[in-house]
Amino acid sequence: MFKLEQYKILAVSVIATTALLTTSQAKDVESSAYNGLWNAKKDISGGVYYPIMNGQTGPYKVNTQVYKNSDISKNEEGLKVSYNHGRVPTANEYNAWNKDINGKNEGLPEGSGYVDEGEALYEAQCIMCHGDFGSGGGGYPALSLGKAKELKRTLTNNRWLNPTAEGPSRVFGSYWPVASTMFWYIKDAMPHTKSKTLTNDEVYSLTAYMLYINSMKVNGEIVNETFKLDKEKFLKIEMPNRNGFIPDIDGANGVENVRSFYTNPDNFGAIRLKKGEEPCMSNCQNTDNISRVDGGITDFNPPISVVRDLPAKKDDAAHTVSFDAKEAYKETCTMCHGSFAPAAGDKAAWKPFLDKGLAAVYKNGLEGTNMGMPAKGGSGLSDEEFKKVVDYILKF
Amino acid sequence: MNKLKNIFKKDLEDTSTNEIQEVSRRDFFKKTAAVSTVAAASILSPIKVLASEDDHAIMHHPKWGQSWGDPATKNLYGIPSAYEHNNTRRYTELLASGNARASIAVTPIHESEGIITPNGLFFSRSHGGTAHVDPNEFRLMITGLVEKPIVLTLAQVKKYPKVTRTHFIECPANGGQEWRRPQYNSLQFAKGFMACAQWTGVYIKTILEDLGLKANAQWMLAEGSDNSEMGRSLPIDKVLDDAMLVWGQNGEALRPEQGYPLRLLVPGWEGNLCVKWLKRLDFASEPWYAKEETSKYTALKPTGKALQHFYANEVNSTVVSPSCEKDWTHLDDGDIIEIEGLAWSGMGTITRVDLSFDGGNNYQTANIKGLVLPKCWTRWSYMHTYKKGERLLLTSRAMDDAGFIQPTVDQEVFGNNVKKENYGKDKNKGMGVESVYHRNAVETWEVTPKGEVKHVQIRTV
Repeated sequence: MFKLEQYKILAVSVIATTALLTTSQAKDVESSAYNGLWNAKKDISGGVYYPIMNGQTGPYKVNTQVYKNSDISKNEEGLKVSYNHGRVPTANEYNAWNKDINGKNEGLPEGSGYVDEGEALYEAQCIMCHGDFGSGGGGYPALSLGKAKELKRTLTNNRWLNPTAEGPSRVFGSYWPVASTMFWYIKDAMPHTKSKTLTNDEVYSLTAYMLYINSMKVNGEIVNETFKLDKEKFLKIEMPNRNGFIPDIDGANGVENVRSFYTNPDNFGAIRLKKGEEPCMSNCQNTDNISRVDGGITDFNPPISVVRDLPAKKDDAAHTVSFDAKEAYKETCTMCHGSFAPAAGDKAAWKPFLDKGLAAVYKNGLEGTNMGMPAKGGSGLSDEEFKKVVDYILKF
Repeated sequence: MNKLKNIFKKDLEDTSTNEIQEVSRRDFFKKTAAVSTVAAASILSPIKVLASEDDHAIMHHPKWGQSWGDPATKNLYGIPSAYEHNNTRRYTELLASGNARASIAVTPIHESEGIITPNGLFFSRSHGGTAHVDPNEFRLMITGLVEKPIVLTLAQVKKYPKVTRTHFIECPANGGQEWRRPQYNSLQFAKGFMACAQWTGVYIKTILEDLGLKANAQWMLAEGSDNSEMGRSLPIDKVLDDAMLVWGQNGEALRPEQGYPLRLLVPGWEGNLCVKWLKRLDFASEPWYAKEETSKYTALKPTGKALQHFYANEVNSTVVSPSCEKDWTHLDDGDIIEIEGLAWSGMGTITRVDLSFDGGNNYQTANIKGLVLPKCWTRWSYMHTYKKGERLLLTSRAMDDAGFIQPTVDQEVFGNNVKKENYGKDKNKGMGVESVYHRNAVETWEVTPKGEVKHVQIRTV
């Protein structure tokens, strides 16, 4: 169970438990709770910390039967709560959900995969969203925009001072600090339409392909098309922007570094007034230079209106009971169909598929293919609904 | 009301007591109706009705007043009036990925009332689509550096003592498309990546008192059960301060878009940290580097270094009325009108809001209204006598009890106390224009001589 000693160590890292405040400080917090807390303890983000004390946190009353122990200055016994809700997970349950990998690659599973295997997988399952060689498109993120090391230079581009400059490239090779993020995210969240279906070896091969298209190095060597990634080599992936992030969150001082960083408003573009300092109220700045919306973004859906009228007449029965195959097609399929996959109504494009019979088209759609078609397009449609979408697509 | 009194007074002066008794019943009603029409029109509606015309809305029995309404058995879960159909979340293709499964729909704050956002209008963001979790199959696992790891059903989570708190949730990319210039002539899109609700759940520290946190625990990972398995990590300080697991939103269960049946609530900090469809909390001594705290939700500075673990949404404010959507084109010269707005800070409680009519050169202090709560939307107000044809640059500027004040656009981009001739020279100063996240410089709304409202920015370069 919880030990007081441990809690005390913990309390040191908890910015401002009342135990750490002197009596006068505590009083200051209490009396000025709503009226400026310049002298009060700050939370780790530089904000105000509202301790639970005297039955209250900020403006909120609390049930002191629950939180009496949160004020450890008044309870030398420490915390002795035993709700006994829930149960201890089994080892299998724990392992089933414990799939995270941290920045030190702790949690990385065994396995291996080649670049060319990754490329084949990529072209079958990823290219429809992430584009050729990870170039992005359709609103989905790019994974590579060229040689990582060269792209890293774009991170200092500033399109305000130099409007014609290329924007910073924030892709895997040029921006991401660690490689574990890529493995972990592919394993958990990709492919988007049927996540958590890739084996560890497949994820290794996809990660190898990512290294290849970003021209990244492993153990000093640029990854080429015959490269095989395994756990041992994974630990030697060189991330060009590994030191590109502040504050330093690693190691035993990680949390303290963060706290220290946010004590300086200049570090994060903020302004903190000194106690009693009045903000500027007159003749504060020249306001002649007005930047206006120039073109801007106007594709608002639905179009903006503040009129109080009745919505355009819809056939209620049609919208709540019957299924709109066209709408489902638009919502689910057009991401691929209409670009590199055959569009609805494109008789010529569908001919080779239809030559194998309608039943085969249904089957491929329902079960998915290794050419990039996810089962039911990744939708939650019933089989019957999905077939109606197929029928709509094949209406020539 | 003065207008109403004056009209009645004038009417009575024109008519002696005897004369009133002598007018026919028919004439009397006709006259009274005309007076009421003028009064109602002047006070309630921008529609101008001449005194000599009778308002049809008054002069006939409306359909709903002469027939049965719906039975109480209809709409057992209530829905808004059909006339309110335009008060809705909206999206734009620019912020949609592919088929809108990693996208955002934003809150119509130009229609917001008070400090609570109705659940159906709360902004919605996901990274793998809105998950529909079966609460019977919901499990929460808490593992890592705890003395006693546990797995809880939803009913078991709800057995812990409850707290109810009112907090906004704001996407740190709120306003993030406008670092280089204003992009939206729309309040909904310029500032609607946020909403505010009353949340009910349990403090995580209450659960940890039961489980026992090990001394070397520095970080907590929260993972969602959705398609993207959205994960973020938090420093232990916040976990032991006010971070909550919430299942209640404005008095009912969370909506699926908000993470039904359980989400993390990290008051005042990046909305992205408030992991939805929660399945697991893991405690460790080393940080994780999840995708949404490395590739995204990191703020690139002019030095080429990016801020990671940038937590709090800093002090911010906006004028809400008037807005681009609900402008002042209907106002008459001399109308007394309320300028209303919102202020909020993820670092504390709003202490003051100033309002400028000239884009931030001169300020007046506005009046804060209603409940003033930490890390919560706060309403403010300023009464203005409208001059037909006037051109205004309405800029609001908020302060919080941590001492922070909103920067000007220049200050946020180029740094505080930097002279114009030195802008951009010291790359360590300011956030530049490429950081995407956490933009909280003052916003300016131009009221044109016609009364239209445009989104502008005041910059000196």
